[in-house]
Amino acid sequence: MKITTNMIGLAMAAILTVPVQAGGNAEAGKAKSAPCAACHGPDGNSPTPSFPRLSGQHEDYLYHSLKDYKSGKRKNPIMSGQVANLSTQDMKDLAAFFARQKGLSQKY
Amino acid sequence: MKATHFTAVAAALACAASLSVQAAGDPVAGRNKNSMCAGCHGIPGWKTAYPATYKVPKLGGQHAEYLVAALKQYKTGERNHPSMKGIVASLSDQDMEDLAAYYASSYSGPSK
Repeated sequence: MKITTNMIGLAMAAILTVPVQAGGNAEAGKAKSAPCAACHGPDGNSPTPSFPRLSGQHEDYLYHSLKDYKSGKRKNPIMSGQVANLSTQDMKDLAAFFARQKGLSQKY
Repeated sequence: MKATHFTAVAAALACAASLSVQAAGDPVAGRNKNSMCAGCHGIPGWKTAYPATYKVPKLGGQHAEYLVAALKQYKTGERNHPSMKGIVASLSDQDMEDLAAYYASSYSGPSK
């Protein structure tokens, strides 16, 4: 089979249209964040060094982490209990809320 | 008998002392060890390529204790990511402490 420029173009278009994860709603996330605050702090700046700061973290990384806790790919006794009742939308909303708080930064 | 006791106690103490303190992380040493980290974590918006695609986490201002725990979990396999697995293989416990101290040292959120 001959690979044409068109085919490469189509393949690239297909890659580009792989859906970007629909955004969460930060306001809705805030309303759902009370259980998180107990360990991670109300704005995600956890006061306890063993619990990670979430504030300012990338939204898609936070969502990915929650999803992995839910699927069991990432294991943590506390988090697996917390995510059990979260829907996909809940996880997106929470990620959107914590990502918009001030705290973590990119560091070279 | 008495001498034996003394020796045993001294030996136990020496042993405990040598087991103890993992020296606290040194942020300056960490800065000099982070070349493997910076290629992904240091580039704004850099994304993982495999097995899932998402932006690599920000480390600046993260708690050192959490960062060390995460690195150790990658080392034991408790936490799994192909890139991180490869990288932690070459890190000693002291390297992990130093890197964590380096990244933790730039918290920019509200003061507590």
